[in-house]
Amino acid sequence: MRYGQGINGDDVDFESVWKTLDTAFTQIHDHNASSLSYEELYRFAYRLVLKKQGEKLYDKVKAFESTWLREKIRPQILGKLSPSLQSAPQDGVGAGAAATTNERREAGEKFLREVKDSWQNHVVCMNMLADVLMYMDRVYCTDNRKPNIYATAMNLFRDCNLFSPTGSDPRSPSVLGVLNGVILDQIQMERAGDVIDKSIIKSCIYMLDGLYESNSESSEQKLYSTSFEQDFLNVSREFYRDEGEKLLRESDAGGYCERTMARLKEEQYRCRTMLSDTTTPKIEKVVEEELIKNKIQEVIEMESGVRFMIDNERLEELGLVYQLEARVDEKKSELTKAIQLRVVEMGTAVNEAATTTAVPGQLPPEQAPKDAEAPANKPGNPQTAAAIKWVADVLELKDKFDAILNHSFQKDTGVAAALTRSFSEFINSAAFTRASEFISLFIDDNMKKGIRDKTETEIDQVLLKAITLVRYVQNKDMFEGYYKKHLTKRLLQKKSLSMDVEKDMVSRMKIELGHQFTQKMEGMFKDMNTSDDLTRNYQDYLQSTGSEDPKRVGLDMMVLTSMTWPPLGEDNEKKFIFPSEIDRLRKSFEKFYGEKHSGRKLTWLPHLGTADMRVRFGKMHEVNIPTYGMVILLLFNDVPSGEYLSYEEIQAKTNMPDADLIRNLQQIAVSKKTQFLKKEPMGREVNPSDKFCVNEKFQSKFLKLKVGIITNNNRVETDQEKRETEDKMEQHRGITVEAAIVRIMKSRKQLSHQQLILDTLDQVKAQFKPDVNMIKKRIESLIDREYLERLEESNPPAYKYLA
Amino acid sequence: MAEENQQSDYVTLVSNDGFEFKVQRSAACIAGAIKKMLDPSNNFVEARENRCHFESINGIVLEKVCEYLYYAEKHKDAKDVPDMDLPPELCLELLMAADFLNC
Repeated sequence: MRYGQGINGDDVDFESVWKTLDTAFTQIHDHNASSLSYEELYRFAYRLVLKKQGEKLYDKVKAFESTWLREKIRPQILGKLSPSLQSAPQDGVGAGAAATTNERREAGEKFLREVKDSWQNHVVCMNMLADVLMYMDRVYCTDNRKPNIYATAMNLFRDCNLFSPTGSDPRSPSVLGVLNGVILDQIQMERAGDVIDKSIIKSCIYMLDGLYESNSESSEQKLYSTSFEQDFLNVSREFYRDEGEKLLRESDAGGYCERTMARLKEEQYRCRTMLSDTTTPKIEKVVEEELIKNKIQEVIEMESGVRFMIDNERLEELGLVYQLEARVDEKKSELTKAIQLRVVEMGTAVNEAATTTAVPGQLPPEQAPKDAEAPANKPGNPQTAAAIKWVADVLELKDKFDAILNHSFQKDTGVAAALTRSFSEFINSAAFTRASEFISLFIDDNMKKGIRDKTETEIDQVLLKAITLVRYVQNKDMFEGYYKKHLTKRLLQKKSLSMDVEKDMVSRMKIELGHQFTQKMEGMFKDMNTSDDLTRNYQDYLQSTGSEDPKRVGLDMMVLTSMTWPPLGEDNEKKFIFPSEIDRLRKSFEKFYGEKHSGRKLTWLPHLGTADMRVRFGKMHEVNIPTYGMVILLLFNDVPSGEYLSYEEIQAKTNMPDADLIRNLQQIAVSKKTQFLKKEPMGREVNPSDKFCVNEKFQSKFLKLKVGIITNNNRVETDQEKRETEDKMEQHRGITVEAAIVRIMKSRKQLSHQQLILDTLDQVKAQFKPDVNMIKKRIESLIDREYLERLEESNPPAYKYLA
Repeated sequence: MAEENQQSDYVTLVSNDGFEFKVQRSAACIAGAIKKMLDPSNNFVEARENRCHFESINGIVLEKVCEYLYYAEKHKDAKDVPDMDLPPELCLELLMAADFLNC
């Protein structure tokens, strides 16, 4: 019913009505609308549309706007164009030809202000026009699928102004081009430190963001993205490429990173305040590519680069490098590479320092162990000191890099893993084979002295550090061997300060390295406990059987399970002749033990024991002495004063091994503090031709004396000892590998060669890193012994398990 | 002046035969055309004087229009609103007025 008759029924004369509207529109554009009646204008437009003059009206309005924009607005905008502005965009950065930056900035601002003002006016006027022409939009435009008059007028602004050439030559740059150029120029000025009027630029950008490249209004077609943004990114890329070069030349790595960070923030802020949020990721990418991706390697390798930062604890700068590289590379590969390089470098230096001092040529002969108690903080010898220093150095290194990791790298797991790899690399490096031994010595030292006067937390720290290092060691079996050896000495000689800490350490290793690793050590602790009980029970037993006799010698023994403990020295029980007192004791205990555990065989290891005895030299002294030493002294009980026993006689009576005999004689006949015997002839060395008698003149102001055992300190092995250890290790590994192969084949029955190797590597890698050749040899050997069989016709080669 | 306009709660609607209706601004603005007419940012003469003169609507129709505007405002957010009672003889003219006023 829209086109019905009635109050609006009269025909209209288009021309006269348009004339009224035309005048009114002119007034509106001249900001002179206050006397106009909306009702009247609206009614006119309404009637024209109603009378099917909509199309005519629409076209008239369009024509009116085009004329207005072309003839009134464009000249105003072009009027603000000074020649300096036109040259600016082509020349790009900072080359304003004749014009100084200042002039250019002011001219630019004028131009931008004009564009902005005319645009804003246009928007205001078009809002009014659109209101008046509401009915046309509602009816005519909707029915005929035309864009509403407001949108049309906006596009007209674009076509008549922005896309028009600036000069009379149609090929001269368009207003839009100049506009982009001017805005970019202003931005460059701001980058160079000038202060510019951001609000004008923001308005102009807002305009570009509201206009579209073509009349279809899809968001990718925004003028902002199609024309300005790309220019902006290109100019910025160039700018940052130059800036990157300049910074590399002029500042140090820290400065470079700071500057880059600042630039990134600046661009983010610029996008937020002046440009569009959609540009933020794009410009960030430009900066990242130009300043970070293409340069980070150079920055890291600069003289003041990562290496310098690490050495000088520049945590903040390292943090910057990290943050920057994290933006372009998730893995931070360049930084990680540099860090790893430095870790290995520093680690190798530590290794070398340790190797030069630690490799013991010859053991210092005097190596006075009896003094070992006194200088508690000084380890027994320089080699051990070097070992402990090595551990301390490695730990320091670890602390240093941990601090960097936590402070600068946000505890990045990737970098952490890389650090672990690098530590592992230098600790296990082929040029440095003593890591396991050193770490074990470090723990040994701490167990014996280090943890004295320390609080629980401090002890905890030490254990934690030790475990950290153990984690790096690849050949865990090697470490296990050394640790067991050192632990054995601590336990047998009761050198441990605290059994609780010892057990704590072992349980930590259990968590870290698995049950199998600590099985033997736990067995050792268990033996110690049962031995204590056994000693007590034996005493009770003696009392109850009434075989107590005053001349009886007390016995405090340790019963050790032979499988659990490392080899404790050659078994010379058969040959060794115990003195009668001791032999009685031995038999008595064997009887007692046999009653409790039938079927077990006891082997005595006298070379590990010590004895407490009283000797009288003028006054009574209490002497703690190795069992062998005691036996030698006991011989002299039967020798009349002043008479000699020759070396050979002593040996014949005891059947003691030469090495032990010499060592013990040295202690009791040469060492001044415990010189119970006199040697003939005098001299430091004990020779088979020597004779000995009781040293009647011996005196000492101490009531209690201790005769040390020379080999009682855990220390760095000599090269020869080390070779022996390694040989043993090699044998043990062979057995482990064979066991693994058999286990695998037993469950698989048949397996290809390649797969068998892989599975074997997998099984033993928790303990050590085996050599593939060794596995091959072991397979050969198993075939020879008919555990396995080659599958003849199989390709690839495979094996079969023979049950 | 614009500020004054904003403060006034009532506006005057005038018919072509001289009837004046004082209507609450909020109700009057239910009609799209009246809303634009009174929009202070456009600053047409109606907006300055808070007075809208309708050359094409007579008093009887305008009265009914005003009634509708209030009715519409009252039931703005309600659902299932009963139809307003309209005299059949006015229907056509009301329809045209509604089209004109965009309400």
